[in-house]
Amino acid sequence: MNRFALLSLYRSLTRHKLYAALNIGGLAIGIAVFIVLGLYVRFETSFETWLPHHNEIYAIQSDWKDQSSPFAGRYVETMGGLLDELREDFPDLVGTRIMGGKHGGIVQRGNTAVTEDVAMVDPSFFEVFDLPMISGDKDGALAKPDAALISESAAKRYFGQSDPVGQTLRVSMWEPKNYRVAGVFKDLPDNSDFTISVLIPLPENMREINSNWHHWGNSSLQTYLRFRNPAAAARFDAAMPALIDRRGRAYLGDKPSDIFGLVLLPVTDMHLEPNGNAASSAKMTLVTLGLVGTFALLIALINYINLATARAGLRAREVAMRKVLGADRRAVMRQFLAEAMLMVALASLLGLILAELGLPLINAAGGLSLTIPYALVVPALVLLTLVAGFLAGIYPALVLSRYQPAAVLASSRSPGGGRAGTRVREALVVLQFGLAIAFLIGTGVLVAQTQHVRNADTGFQREGLMTVMSLRDSQVDPTQSRAFIQEVRALPNVRAAALANTVVGGSGTRNADNVPLPGVPGDGPLVIWEIVGPDFFEVYAPRLIAGRLFDGRTADDRANTAQGQPDNVLINRQAVGVLGFDSPDDAVGKTVGGDHLRTTIGVVDNLSFFGPRAPTDPTIYYYYADPLRTGNIVASIRFTGDPRAFHEQLEEIWQKIVPQVPFDAQTADEQLIQFYEDDERATRLFAIGAGFAVLIGMVGLWGLASFNTARRVKEIGIRKSLGASATDIVKLLVGQFMRPVLIANLIAWPLAYFAMRTWLAGFDDRIALSPLYFVGASLVAIAIAVLTVLGQSLRASRTAPAWALRHD
Amino acid sequence: MIKLENIERRYISDEVETTALVGVNLDVAEGEFLAIMGPSGCGKSTLLNTLGTIDRPTSGHYWFADTDLAAMAEKDLARFRAARLGFVFQSFNLIDELTIEENIALGLAYRKDVSGNKADRVAAAMDTVGIAHRARHFPHQLSGGQQQRAAIARAIVGDPKLILADEPTGNLDTANGEQVMDILSALNASGATIVMVTHSPSHADMAKRRIDMLDGRIVASAMRAI
Repeated sequence: MNRFALLSLYRSLTRHKLYAALNIGGLAIGIAVFIVLGLYVRFETSFETWLPHHNEIYAIQSDWKDQSSPFAGRYVETMGGLLDELREDFPDLVGTRIMGGKHGGIVQRGNTAVTEDVAMVDPSFFEVFDLPMISGDKDGALAKPDAALISESAAKRYFGQSDPVGQTLRVSMWEPKNYRVAGVFKDLPDNSDFTISVLIPLPENMREINSNWHHWGNSSLQTYLRFRNPAAAARFDAAMPALIDRRGRAYLGDKPSDIFGLVLLPVTDMHLEPNGNAASSAKMTLVTLGLVGTFALLIALINYINLATARAGLRAREVAMRKVLGADRRAVMRQFLAEAMLMVALASLLGLILAELGLPLINAAGGLSLTIPYALVVPALVLLTLVAGFLAGIYPALVLSRYQPAAVLASSRSPGGGRAGTRVREALVVLQFGLAIAFLIGTGVLVAQTQHVRNADTGFQREGLMTVMSLRDSQVDPTQSRAFIQEVRALPNVRAAALANTVVGGSGTRNADNVPLPGVPGDGPLVIWEIVGPDFFEVYAPRLIAGRLFDGRTADDRANTAQGQPDNVLINRQAVGVLGFDSPDDAVGKTVGGDHLRTTIGVVDNLSFFGPRAPTDPTIYYYYADPLRTGNIVASIRFTGDPRAFHEQLEEIWQKIVPQVPFDAQTADEQLIQFYEDDERATRLFAIGAGFAVLIGMVGLWGLASFNTARRVKEIGIRKSLGASATDIVKLLVGQFMRPVLIANLIAWPLAYFAMRTWLAGFDDRIALSPLYFVGASLVAIAIAVLTVLGQSLRASRTAPAWALRHD
Repeated sequence: MIKLENIERRYISDEVETTALVGVNLDVAEGEFLAIMGPSGCGKSTLLNTLGTIDRPTSGHYWFADTDLAAMAEKDLARFRAARLGFVFQSFNLIDELTIEENIALGLAYRKDVSGNKADRVAAAMDTVGIAHRARHFPHQLSGGQQQRAAIARAIVGDPKLILADEPTGNLDTANGEQVMDILSALNASGATIVMVTHSPSHADMAKRRIDMLDGRIVASAMRAI
């Protein structure tokens, strides 16, 4: 590109500022959206890649194969003693267990106790997870039973500026114990699902502490292995069924490998792999957001190409003159390609600036902490500049360099790329609008589903409901729990308070048993069972569908039976069919169970404790007058007034009664947020990306419409001199743009239908994919398109014919 | 210098064939000033474009010195134009985004064999047509006459063997037209070969020879009486 070509480009940009702004600005926004969503995708796919040797690390998944079980699926959890048993068969195995993690323990400082991300691990932990150290020594540290390694931020929190190594930290997982800090490791990065700030060794006598340590089928911790290469991992995987059959028979029946498996999962896949029976939505969300980013960029590129080719026609005379002056075809092509690349480079730079400026907003909207890795983004943008510049420049370059100078210079009008050029532009507008309409439909459905889920009937009232989770801590003894709940019940703003082994959001464990059905051979269906104390159904108040609720005064409701379990049970609606009843009414008075028959006294509606994606499991409720006789009991409290003030009230009582354990209470909404936040974040990011994509599309249409209208000024003059009214002209110009927009629906509807159907399938409770979303989005697109071109058409329609006829 | 032998030019578009040039034979000697006249559509501009190699004859030979340009590759023709030809158009065809000086310098941009300082040559060309005081202006800031003089400067900056002018005064008023013709005459007097298409008999009379065309043929050729 010679100096004159550069000059002429620069002056063309500065003279036609609006087109330059549309052209470069639109592309810059597209690039910014692409960068931001690309960063998000990169972040989500980068989990655990920060770990040294991450390609060699695998988690062991427990695979429950019985699809009828509520627990079916693969979980990154194993029984505690699995690693010991594996080592007996594979003596060279490199592995570690991680027990605990997020809020896994308590650190006591003086009279206060703080919940901390404590994990108990094997001495071989660092052979698998080679965490970068700040100070101290990791080698062999965890072999000492009283050694602890802490994170950089935990070190600051507990020891301030002084050197933590050698100091004492009192940590409790189930009983308090003093540990000496042996070293400080770097804080784990954001792109990690491991939440660990204190590492302590697993006690050697775990078998005595936990009677289920070697119970096949039990899940109490995570087991990680490190293999030298994928082939070694594959050999290990292949050996598992035989090992399970040999070792698990005593617990899992004759052929344990039929119902249970152990499967290796690369640690880098863990983040996007669904746990258990959760829907595998993470990957799809990510692909969708990646596509939104790519399509936003594509729409912007189409814009650029459309505007560039349309306007390039205006430069035909310049090209012809250059050819007359001796430029050959290649020189002209070079010029246009270089121009396009320069423009895309400008847009990339601007896009990068926009991304940098917009990132804080995106981070706020998505609860993220993304930053732009320039070392990666800059080369990527250079590549984009070359590729996109080539794509955007090649068409004008080919068309313009082909012009015969004699024909161009003889004509008083500039060629516009001919009919073929117009068709290509129209096809690109169709594609662009197709994507934009699909995005609008997608946004509509996503927002509607998110709203639906937010307002969905969970079976209980979410407001005025508090859960107290710290009751389940092993350091809280039942006397303290009773004292606490008693004082809470006495509060004037408490309407009901109940103890149970379940709460909204889950209490951390779930239990299921096979329930043999009378007259039906076999073990019967697997049904979740929950222990509930007095007032549980007052707190949650599910609809009573049939029969009656528990009544504390009825002897049968109490757990004073032979096996210590009650005779009367309540079931939820989901259990009606599973337990073989025709209807809720049919269930009332009937008995279920094998050795111990239990009578169903009532059916309550489903309580949805685990968010919108999780199906409600068939559940049996047992009534215990004093649930604290069993383990893992938490409290649910129905209250009135301000939740924050109530939280403080509760904490005060707690501190008085159980000072040694940190208070942990959350409202129902706080408990549920974990199930909503991913979808809501994805929806927000999608809406932002889609919004920008639509905006870019509109900008492009506006530019193209304004260009076309300007080119047709003379035609408008002729038509008006022949008697066309202003309305006729507006109809003509608007109609010209309606056609591609209408055809675009043909692309948009099926695309959006399949995408949204797949996305909605991940929800147990979902909205219907109504045609209204499609029609609505198309109407919005048409309205926007009409408004976009209307202003210019109106102005053009008012042109004086005499002036228009002189216009070239 | 130039010899056209039996040149034909036919256009085919939408199944309609138009013959623009029929069996044209023409010799142009070095230093000549030739005017082409004829009614609209008679093939004047096609002949001029053929001479300028921006249009290719359908058949026939175009000898420039001893080279047949009708058979030359497009790339070589571009190089030929850059080195040997200068064009002047009725509608000036200056590039709007470039200043007058830059437009004129563009006449050297595609040449690899320019001797001497380019800026000096541009300045000299501007002096020749009397446009130097407008060097930093853009085309739209100039009158038609000034624009055409700039276009002539662009045509002559490369010191071409042949200047082709397609109705150079067609868009100008009488005074400006005369000025342009004076410049062309002066260029011819200093040795340039000029072929000019014109509708103006008086301007045609300023040429040394005049040919008349009708329906794609040369129907008359006359030397100016001196």
